[in-house]
Amino acid sequence: MDRAHCVIIGNGPAANSAAFTLRDNDPDLRITVIGEERDHEYRPDLLPDYIAGKATEEDLFIGKSESYKGHDIKLRLGQRVVHADFQQRELLLEHNEVVRFTGLIIACGAKPRIPEPLAVFEDLMLTLKTPADARLWIERLARVDTILIVGGDLTSLSLTKALLHLGKRVVFMLDCGSFWPVPFSPELREQVARKLTEHGVEVTECTKIRRISRISDHSFEVATDRRTMVVGILGAFFGLVPNVKFLAGSGLDIERGILVDEYLKTSRENVYAAGDCAQVYHPEIRDYWVSIGYTNAVELGKAAALNLLGDMVAVNVKRESILEVDGINVNSSWWMEF
Amino acid sequence: MAGVDVTVEVCGMAGDGTIAAGGLINEAMSAGGLSVLGFDSYPAEIRGFGRCVTRSRIGDEEILALGDETHVLISLNDEQSISRVPVLAKDSAVLFDSNPPIYVQEEKSLAAEVDPETMLFGMPFGDLATSAAGTARGRNLAALGGFAAVCGVPPDLFHLVITAKFKSKGEKVVDANLKSFDAGYAYAKERFADCLKTMFSGPGRAEGPEKVMLSGNLAIGKAALDAGLRLYYGYPITPATPIMEYLAKQLPERGGAVVQMEDEIASIGAVLGASFAGARSMTATSGPGFALMTELITHGVMAEIPAVILNAQRGGPSTGLPTKTEQSDLHAAVFGGPGDSGRIVIAPTNVAECYLFTVKSFQLAEKYQTPVVVLTDFFLDNRVENLPVPEASEQDIAFGNVFPDDSVKGSYIRYLDTETGISPRALPGMEGFAFSATGLEHTERGTPDYSPDNHMKMSDKRHRKIRSALRDLPMPEEFSRGGDLDVGVIGWGSTFGSVLEAVNTARSRGLNVGALKITSIFPYHADMIGEFMGRCARVLIPELNYSGQLANLISHLRGNDVVRLNLATGTPFPPSLILSKIEELLKAGA
Repeated sequence: MDRAHCVIIGNGPAANSAAFTLRDNDPDLRITVIGEERDHEYRPDLLPDYIAGKATEEDLFIGKSESYKGHDIKLRLGQRVVHADFQQRELLLEHNEVVRFTGLIIACGAKPRIPEPLAVFEDLMLTLKTPADARLWIERLARVDTILIVGGDLTSLSLTKALLHLGKRVVFMLDCGSFWPVPFSPELREQVARKLTEHGVEVTECTKIRRISRISDHSFEVATDRRTMVVGILGAFFGLVPNVKFLAGSGLDIERGILVDEYLKTSRENVYAAGDCAQVYHPEIRDYWVSIGYTNAVELGKAAALNLLGDMVAVNVKRESILEVDGINVNSSWWMEF
Repeated sequence: MAGVDVTVEVCGMAGDGTIAAGGLINEAMSAGGLSVLGFDSYPAEIRGFGRCVTRSRIGDEEILALGDETHVLISLNDEQSISRVPVLAKDSAVLFDSNPPIYVQEEKSLAAEVDPETMLFGMPFGDLATSAAGTARGRNLAALGGFAAVCGVPPDLFHLVITAKFKSKGEKVVDANLKSFDAGYAYAKERFADCLKTMFSGPGRAEGPEKVMLSGNLAIGKAALDAGLRLYYGYPITPATPIMEYLAKQLPERGGAVVQMEDEIASIGAVLGASFAGARSMTATSGPGFALMTELITHGVMAEIPAVILNAQRGGPSTGLPTKTEQSDLHAAVFGGPGDSGRIVIAPTNVAECYLFTVKSFQLAEKYQTPVVVLTDFFLDNRVENLPVPEASEQDIAFGNVFPDDSVKGSYIRYLDTETGISPRALPGMEGFAFSATGLEHTERGTPDYSPDNHMKMSDKRHRKIRSALRDLPMPEEFSRGGDLDVGVIGWGSTFGSVLEAVNTARSRGLNVGALKITSIFPYHADMIGEFMGRCARVLIPELNYSGQLANLISHLRGNDVVRLNLATGTPFPPSLILSKIEELLKAGA
C-alpha cells in the first residue's frame, strides 16, 4: 500500500514548522515541501541587514538540505503550484506535473501589497520580501544615492536604517491611511516622522503620486501633487497580501486569505492552512484574523501539522492582542519582535 | 572554480534530437575557443527506444577525461533524465520541458527528483519551437537557446554552428532552426533574468590555430586517408561503423575503394589479399567481428602479410553491450587465434593518438610484415575532442616496405632468417622474385615443412621480428616529478585520460604519485615499465574490464605485486574513483 503523502505548499516558517512537526510525530509519513522561491528558508527580518552588509548569506538562510534529508522530507524549491483539485486530491505544478496527496497544508505565505492607485507603477517599484528582492536592492543601490520610500510598514523602517547605514539619502513618504500592521493614529505618525527626521530621513507629506518618469536606467522623476523629485529607487511598503491567487476556482473558501477554523482546518477535508496566507476564525470575537510575524507562523504551522495527524489543537490568541487595520483583524508577532 | 571547467549533458529519448543538440554544444564551445571533450551514449536499438545522453566537458585548459559531475543538464525527456540526477553537481542547472504534451506524474518527474540546490529552468521547448518555426521539431534547438541564455554563451556562436550544420539541408531548414534557437534564448533571457548563470562568460570567437572537432573514429578515417589507404574492406559493427561510412564518402574521391563484405572473415581475407599485392588496406571491427577474423589474422602472421585491423572494443563477451565501452579485448588482440601468433598491438589514448597511431600502423605493418591491431574502445571512438587539424609528416606516411635487393633476383628467399627476423618482401609481379606464401609452417623459401627443427626455427624468427618492432613503437610516457613514487598508476587506452587527471589532482595536493602511459601493448617495453614499477611503492592499474587484462600482461615485471582497479560498468572510468584508490593506497601505506 502507498505511504500516506502530506504535501506542504510553501517554504516559509509556517511550512517548515509544519513539515518537521509532521515528521516528529509520524515517522512513516511521506512529506513533500513545495516552495515557489528558489531560495532555502530564510529569516525575512534579516533582509535589511543583508542589504546593509551586516548579515551574511549564512546568517540569512536557515534551511539546510541536510536537515530535510536527515528527516526524510522532500524539499522542492523553485516549483510553483498553479492549481489544486481537492476532489481528486491532486496538485498541478506549473510544469504540468501532477502531485497526489492524502493531506495538504497550505502555507504559501504572502506577497507585498501594492495599493490600487499605485498598481500602475508596480513595475517601477522595489519591494522587499525575499532574498531575490534583497539582491535586486543591493544591485541597484550600487548605482544610486537617493531612495524614495512610499507607504509605511515595519519592513520599511528596518530598510531605512539599512539605507542610512550605507550612507544613502532617504526620502520617506508616509502614507496616512495605515502603517501595516498597526493602526496608524496621528500621534503614532507624528512619532514615527520625528524619529525618522532625527535620523536624517527627509519625511514628506502624505500625497498622491501623479506621475513617474524614467530619466535614465538609474533615476526616476516622481511628481506628486505637491512636489517633484528625482530619485534612484522607489520602494513600496504597504504590508502583505496572502498569496492565494492560484486557489481561485479550486472551491476552497477564501476571503482575504484562506478561511480556516480555530483548528486551521479549511473547508476541505484533510486540507489545512497556516501562516500569512490563512484567515483564522476566532470563536470569541466571532470573526477571522490574519497572522503576521515569524513566531506566529511557526506556531500555526505546528498546530496545522498536529491537527492533520488527528489532534485538536486550537490556535490560542488572546482577544486583546488582535488589532484592526484597514478593517482587517491582525495578530502580529512581528511588531513585538521588532 | 579558477577557470572554466563545466560538464553539460543533454538527455532524451532516441529521436529527440539529443545527439544533434550535444554536437552543437560541442561545436559552439569549440568555436568560442574552449577545449571540449564530448561523448555520446545511446541505446543499441536504432530509433525510438531507450535513453540517449551526450556529455560535454568544456574548459579553458586541456580536457583529459569526462568529469565526474554534471553542472548543466538539458532534459528533452524527463523520464529518461531522472537517471542523470545522481551525477548532478551541487548548484547545478537543469533545463527541462515545462509543457510536455501530457501531464507528468510525480513518479516520472525530473523536477521531483532533483536536490533543492539544483536550479530548475522550465521552458516550453516544443511550444517555443512551434511558435517560432511552425514545427516542434526544433524543440532541441529551443532548449539550446535556453542553455545559451542561462549559462551565458554568446548566441552568435550557436548561430554559426547551427548554420554550418544545416546548410546542406537548405535555407529553410537553417532558418527554422535559428528561429527555434532564438525563441528559446529570448524566452530564457526574459523569464530567468534574475537567475542567469555566467558559466561561460569567457568565450568569444576562437583565436589561434584552426581547430576541428574530431571523434576517434573520424580521426582514424582521416589518418587512413592521409596515410594513402587504397582499399577498405569491412562489415558494419558498432562502434566501428562510422569509419567505414566516412571512408565510403572520402576514399573513392582519392581513387580508392570501400567494399562492404559479407562478413568479417571475408573482410580480413580481402585485406590480406590487397596487402599481399602491396596496396595499403585496412578493416575495422569490434570484438565479435575480431573474433571471426582471428584465424585469418594468424594467417597473416604465418605468411608474414601486412594488415591493419582496427578493433573498436565494446562491452562483451559475445554481442555483449554494443553501445557501451570496455577494454576487454586486450587478450584477444594480443593472443587471439591459433598458435603462437605474435603480432603488433598498439592502443591510442586520445583522439590525436587515434590519428597518429593509425598513420603509423601502415608503416609498421609493411616493415614488420605482420598484422597490426589498433586497439580502441567505444569511448575513444565516439568521443569528440577539438584539436588542431592533425597532419602526418612525409616520414610518417612513407612506405615501410623492405624490398629485396636486385642482387638476389632469381635466388630470392622470401622468409630469409635475418638478425631482426625481418625478411625482404617482394610483391607479386616483381620479375625474378616469385615465391609461395602459405599458412602452413614453411621453410625460409616458403615450402611447407612441419619438421620439429624448422618449426622451432621459424617460430623464433617470427617472434624475433615482432620483438624487434619495439624500436619503432611508441615508448611508455611517464608523468611525474621522477624518482621514487609512493603510488605509480599505469593506464592504457581511453582510461589513461582519467588516470592522468587523477594523478594530476593528487600531485596538486602534494602527493608523491605519478602516471605511466602505455600505448605499445604488444610487444611492450618491459624494461621501461619494469623500471617505473621498481620506483613505485605501490603500482595501481585501473582498467575498464573485469579481469585486469593489462595487469595480467605486465604484472610479472613486479612479481605480480600490483593493485588492480577494474570496472565493468560499460561507462568511462571516473577520475574520482582512481583518485580515491590512490588516497586509499597512500593511507594504507602510511
